[in-house]
Amino acid sequence: MSDKLKEIINKQKKKDSLSISHLDEVVQLVGFIIGEEEYAVPILTIQEIIKPISWTRVPQTPAYILGVFNLRGSVIPLIDLRVKFGLKAKKHNEETRFFVLKQGNEVAGFVIDRLTMALRLKKGDIGAAPDSVAGDDSKIDGVGKQDGRILTILKVKKLLERDF
Amino acid sequence: MDEFQEILQDFLVESFELVEKLDEDLVELEANPEDLELLNGIFRVAHTVKGASSFLNFDVLTHLTHHMEDVLNKARHGDLIIDANIMDVILESIDLMKELLVTIRDTSADAGVDVVECVLKLDKISGGDGNVEIPISVAPVVVEEISAQEELDYDNMSDEDVEAEIERLLAERQTQDKAKRAAKIAAGESVPEAPPEPSEADEKPKEVAPKAPTPVPTASLRAKAEDAKAAAPTSRTPAAVEQTIRVDVKRLDHLMNLIGELVLAKNRLIKINDDVEERYEGEEFLEELNQVVSIVSLVTTDLQIAVMKTRMLPIGKVFNKFPRMIRDLTRELNKKMELELAGEDTELDKSIVEEIGDPLVHIIRNSCDHGIEMPAVRLAAGKSETGTITLKAYNEGNAIVIQIDDDGKGLDAEMLKAKSIEKGIITEKEADLMSDKEAFALIFAPGFSTAAAVTSVSGRGVGMDVVKTNIEKLNGIIDIESALGKGTSLKLKIPLTLAIIQALLVGVQEEHYAIPLASVLETVRISKDEIFSVENRSVLRLRDEVLSLVHIGDIFEVERILDSSEHVYVVVLGLGSSKIGLIVDSLVGQEEIVIKSMGAYLAGIEGIAGATIRGDGGVTLIVDVAALMHMAKGVKATALVDEGSSTTKEKTKASDYTVMIVDDSKTDRMIMRKSLEPLGVTLVEASDGQEALAILKQGDHHFDAMLVDIEMPRMDGYSLATEIKKYNRYKNLPLIAVTSRTGKSDRMRGVESGMVEYITKPYSADYLSSVVQRNVNFKSEFLS
Repeated sequence: MSDKLKEIINKQKKKDSLSISHLDEVVQLVGFIIGEEEYAVPILTIQEIIKPISWTRVPQTPAYILGVFNLRGSVIPLIDLRVKFGLKAKKHNEETRFFVLKQGNEVAGFVIDRLTMALRLKKGDIGAAPDSVAGDDSKIDGVGKQDGRILTILKVKKLLERDF
Repeated sequence: MDEFQEILQDFLVESFELVEKLDEDLVELEANPEDLELLNGIFRVAHTVKGASSFLNFDVLTHLTHHMEDVLNKARHGDLIIDANIMDVILESIDLMKELLVTIRDTSADAGVDVVECVLKLDKISGGDGNVEIPISVAPVVVEEISAQEELDYDNMSDEDVEAEIERLLAERQTQDKAKRAAKIAAGESVPEAPPEPSEADEKPKEVAPKAPTPVPTASLRAKAEDAKAAAPTSRTPAAVEQTIRVDVKRLDHLMNLIGELVLAKNRLIKINDDVEERYEGEEFLEELNQVVSIVSLVTTDLQIAVMKTRMLPIGKVFNKFPRMIRDLTRELNKKMELELAGEDTELDKSIVEEIGDPLVHIIRNSCDHGIEMPAVRLAAGKSETGTITLKAYNEGNAIVIQIDDDGKGLDAEMLKAKSIEKGIITEKEADLMSDKEAFALIFAPGFSTAAAVTSVSGRGVGMDVVKTNIEKLNGIIDIESALGKGTSLKLKIPLTLAIIQALLVGVQEEHYAIPLASVLETVRISKDEIFSVENRSVLRLRDEVLSLVHIGDIFEVERILDSSEHVYVVVLGLGSSKIGLIVDSLVGQEEIVIKSMGAYLAGIEGIAGATIRGDGGVTLIVDVAALMHMAKGVKATALVDEGSSTTKEKTKASDYTVMIVDDSKTDRMIMRKSLEPLGVTLVEASDGQEALAILKQGDHHFDAMLVDIEMPRMDGYSLATEIKKYNRYKNLPLIAVTSRTGKSDRMRGVESGMVEYITKPYSADYLSSVVQRNVNFKSEFLS
């Protein structure tokens, strides 16, 4: 490939990334509740949302890993976000859902208390994570504001990272 | 560029195959130096590689093979007798050739390997003066070629161009021949050493070359060539029938994965079929469904076997390199040894064939170095001077056995123990308890080496350890037998394939685990009295062996909530050379399972090899037997019997009594509620068996009785009762059937599943109330 062609492609890429970072750009998120707080993840990272199904416990794992479940032939880990976020485990009820999140090859199911809604947020309405929890290790990507509500936007990549 | 890559790929694949065969042939040649067929075959290999490499401009490789060819050509014409020294040089050159091929594969160039020394040696043998120019340009090579040819055939000295042309044609021709042969080998057919067609090709140079100076002998040679041609078709026919095709391994892997999914679906179908059968007994469509299910299951099994076969390779592919290895070791160690091969045609999955090579190298080296004695020692012991190592493969059930026997000095159990104690591998106490067989297994311990001196061959104490790890990786079992002074026999038992395996499903409490059947030696049912505790570890005396035991629940942190009966099952696991007894609550059965990874998030959980999906759609974890054995060492025995039975609280008021109502009809639940409400007891409702079970498991209430309908969706009353009775704490919970089923057999089933009372609908409120009162021991003072 000629260098010129590469240059042009690079330029185009730069343009793309510039336009994304534009403040009017809208992000689509799905909100959900864990405990008392409302959280959100980008809609494109969600493979699907299902009602609770049975799972198999996996030994030698931290308490927040409930086990594995069968999603149409694939064996997928199931993580209880309540326990992961330091809350007490709660019995699953009518509103409990499994969020199946995917990023790259990593897939995992997350137990959440209740779905709220899909929402569109302007980039401008998303603030940075508080300094105390910001940084590469943080699971928080930013804080969104809409109609007086505050949403914590989670880093899916971090959630899918094994940390034990 | 792409075209070149394609040619290069073909060249590499072909060359590696040829070279592999070469090793074996050469060793055989040393034994029969007069075997012209063999010589011709070897010569052709060198020649083919040379032809192709010169075409691809690999000058160093061309240079090397050219000189090999010279030497072999001389031998072929009887000008040279191949003795051990010459063979060493030839073998060395073949090693270099391999090295070059590897370099070419990795870098697409043949630089970086020094062949000069070897070429000089070769040249000396072929009678040259040792004046070999360092290659790079092609020119000096051509000069060499002529000078070499000069000595054997003056006629050939003629025209350079003719010579080059012949070379080219010959190379082309040989390549075709070899491709055919390789295809045949790949098809698993034994190929005659020298099929007639190459010999026809061999004649060609002579046929054409002499033309220039003397046309006279051509006629006779032609006749010869024609003879060869006439002979050719007969042997060609099978080649035409055996059609083969080269397939990318990735495609086969993909096919295997798909079959895996199909097997899971089949398992599921069978399970559903069973359920349907139970539910709609006697219905006509059942038979049809049955037929379809059995056809699907039959075809799936056949398909699985067929695909497995496409991945099978004869183990001869691995065995081939050993004659050469033994030969080298014979010279290196100054011992006399022979290798006997048997069962090279036995087939194994490709992935296993690849893994098995290294362990075998170590075992055979070990046999040569430590097993076989020096010739003088052997003679003194009244054995033949030459030691024999037998390498044998055969099928045994769903596994393949590779057996390595030697008639050497055998293993000395006492010596092994002493050595292990000295090295701190075992304690003296352990040594005393060890059987001979366990002592033999010590050679696989890391850091163990019995050779007094470390040689380049073995004795660094890593080899046999590697063997054990590799065989365990394949879920294989190692068995050693040895008689002092007579020899040692090692048996490696390896499952045929890794992707789809037979597993034993075991139950512990409510959980199920799958254990690869290849690692299961036997299962026994024992009474708890038979388990002894020695130094905080449970052991079992099984026949004349002491087996250490571990409870699967202790390893996998399973909570003990269910009733444990007087008897337990012990699954005796064998892996590599060790054994252990695994205590489980129940044996569920044997099932074909497909190993699925749990993803990076849960990779590498100790003791778990993966997961599989069962017939009911649930996930079952697969036990990693090697890891389990390791974990078992750190687990302390826990008491099998749980004494802590739940103490029931004293009832102080009517609402302390809790009764569960299980019925799918809301009206029926309402009727029962109305009948019992006057008593003042607490009532909990569930709409089917599964819900009821879930409520029980949550443990929010302590139930005193349950009213159970029989006819319910998802889980009926009988199954519910059976499930409940499995729990320790609900063993004595009174279950009262409330149903419209009035048949005697229904009543019988109710009793069998553990129901204490059987109320038929319709019933009076008072009757129901009195039955409940009786069963919960309702205190009369609470009656208002």
